[in-house]
Amino acid sequence: MKRFLPRWSDVMFFCGKSGHNLCVRERYYCLRRSLVVIMLLITIVPVCITATLSYFQYRQLLQEETFSNSSWSAATAGQAIEAFLEKLQAAILVISDVYSFDQLSHQETLDQVFTKLKRRHKGLVDLSVISPAGIQTAYTGPYNLSGKDYTDSPWYNKTLAKNIYVSDVFMGFRNVPHFVVAVSKKVEKGQGSWVLRASIDADTLDRFLASIDSEISDDIFLVNSDWQLQSSSRYHGEIGNQVLPRDTPRKKGITLSEQYRKETPILRAVGYISGTPWILVLEQQSYALRKNWQAFKNKLLIIFTVCILVAGVIVIRTATLLARKIRETDEAREAFLGQSEHTSKLASIGRLAAGVAHEINNPLAIINEKAGLMKDILGFSPDFQYREKFNDQLDSLLKAVQRSRTITHRLLGFARRMDVTLGPVQINEVITEVLGFLDKEALYREIKIELALQDDLPALHSDPGQLQQIFLNIINNAIDAVDDGGLIQIASQLLTDEMVEVSIKDNGPGMTPEIRKKIFEPFFTTKIGDDNKGTGLGLAITYGLIKKLGGQVAVDSVVGQGTTFLINFPIQAINRENVSDEQDENTDY
Amino acid sequence: MSKTKILIIDDEMEFAVTLAERLVLREFETKAVGGGEEAMTLLQKNWKPDVVLLDLKMPGLDGLAALDLIKKHDPAIEVIILTGHGSTASGIAGMQHGLFDYLMKPIDIGELIVKIKEAAKKAGGTISERSKNK
Repeated sequence: MKRFLPRWSDVMFFCGKSGHNLCVRERYYCLRRSLVVIMLLITIVPVCITATLSYFQYRQLLQEETFSNSSWSAATAGQAIEAFLEKLQAAILVISDVYSFDQLSHQETLDQVFTKLKRRHKGLVDLSVISPAGIQTAYTGPYNLSGKDYTDSPWYNKTLAKNIYVSDVFMGFRNVPHFVVAVSKKVEKGQGSWVLRASIDADTLDRFLASIDSEISDDIFLVNSDWQLQSSSRYHGEIGNQVLPRDTPRKKGITLSEQYRKETPILRAVGYISGTPWILVLEQQSYALRKNWQAFKNKLLIIFTVCILVAGVIVIRTATLLARKIRETDEAREAFLGQSEHTSKLASIGRLAAGVAHEINNPLAIINEKAGLMKDILGFSPDFQYREKFNDQLDSLLKAVQRSRTITHRLLGFARRMDVTLGPVQINEVITEVLGFLDKEALYREIKIELALQDDLPALHSDPGQLQQIFLNIINNAIDAVDDGGLIQIASQLLTDEMVEVSIKDNGPGMTPEIRKKIFEPFFTTKIGDDNKGTGLGLAITYGLIKKLGGQVAVDSVVGQGTTFLINFPIQAINRENVSDEQDENTDY
Repeated sequence: MSKTKILIIDDEMEFAVTLAERLVLREFETKAVGGGEEAMTLLQKNWKPDVVLLDLKMPGLDGLAALDLIKKHDPAIEVIILTGHGSTASGIAGMQHGLFDYLMKPIDIGELIVKIKEAAKKAGGTISERSKNK
């Protein structure tokens, strides 16, 4: 068996101890475990690679999609605010061109202009005219700001410097967050510039920003160059609050970056709004926190787990099956080799036996003839004193020759390959015929022979002569085994559609397992000392004949209870001529 | 009635001579020789046996070759192989060359005489037919 076992070095890697120290069972256990590990690796590695690739590919896709959406949304929001302010700036500029300082300083005119302007520009709060001295000379709107001095206001000074200006959001005299769009114009025929100012409520900016898709952004707001809030923010608080961390956007376009907001990963899109001091900021949850990414990860995990489990189950079952098949194959090969070895052993002993028998036969023949001649001469001689005794001695001599002849002929019979002549055989008839030879001895020793032969057995396609010899040997052994008055039970039955079974059971002394293992070996006998019995070849010959006819023999024996021979014969005999091919060339009869 | 003539060819001369002597005691005319060449010499001298008892393994001319020569010399002579060294192949070969029977040493004298008489009867019939044809 060991020759077919996996080499220890093959399995040691997975067994954790030296293969030399493993018993047969452990080696096959290790083989199975090795197969499981190898097959799991082969199965799981591609699944892992595929899952990892899918994970990173989808993550990249989501990241790109998120970047693209954020960038597009931020750009759209910025463009909307730009458009609104450009339109307002243009309107203010046109008014300052069409109307003079004096005309606009007239309250009725200013009220009319404001009414028309407010109709076209939602969010406009008031309109005022500031004189070259920085004093508000005319005002139309909800607040009472007439006469206010703006000479120290940053927006006023920047308007004078730039001619047209959009301010930061600030509280001003009204103490309400707003921003202004102001235009400065030179006074006609005089020194200095007057300013036309439109105030817009900061809520207007919030309304613009609120129109951005809430699914794409989770916070969108404006900051000034110092990153102070210019609009309300969901996460950063009220107008004027400092936003952290800061970003430095590119001069043009949208700048994307990944940030952490209170340890939450976010994606931030930042871009300048041209013509204003503002920076648009759009914050969005990182792809890692989005529902579709979480759903994908869950699905991937479920699919991966299911694949691993299914692969694991299949691999374990397959490895177990493979290991079992390998073990069965090894065992079958071992059994075949064992049988071949047994056959080879029989052949060798057969050749030896034949040689010995031949060498003995010739001197035996001389003894036989010499003793025979002496007996002949004795027959022709006149009577003398020791004639009777002399005659008895010669008879004993001839009897001994006959015994020797029986032994040598049995030896030759063992070595001989009898030609198998196949034909239809009724196995029950063969058994009955064999019992006909043995009846007398059974009767003499009061041995009871019980028959339970199945009546409707099909005819075997087999060799009647060889079957006869098989049953003769086994039943003869049973008769030898039982005590006087013993019992022998012989039964036949159809085992399967292709197999007939004959059992021969005796209530003799039985055999120990050690003896049972050796009974088919040539020259093994338990009949030492019996007269003319116990060559040790009977069962060896029987075994060879059964195998030759394609049959099987099994022996069940319990010490003190008896022995049962179970012999199976195929209904269509297999003539295994090659069983003793080697014997044939040198086999004598 | 003339005695049946038997030629025993066996390199074991002890066996051949003793057997010859026993057969003489049973009213057979016998000669024993130690090999095939010696047997052929005897046959050339016009001593014609009815039955030949032939051993198989002999030095020089072995049993099967001797059988061939005997049958070529006179097909009417019946040959019985009496050997301790037979084999299936040699038995079949012998039968193909007109062997009468194949017996194994040691053999009971009674059994041997039965076979010799059967062979002699067959040889006698063959000889009679040959005589008639002549």
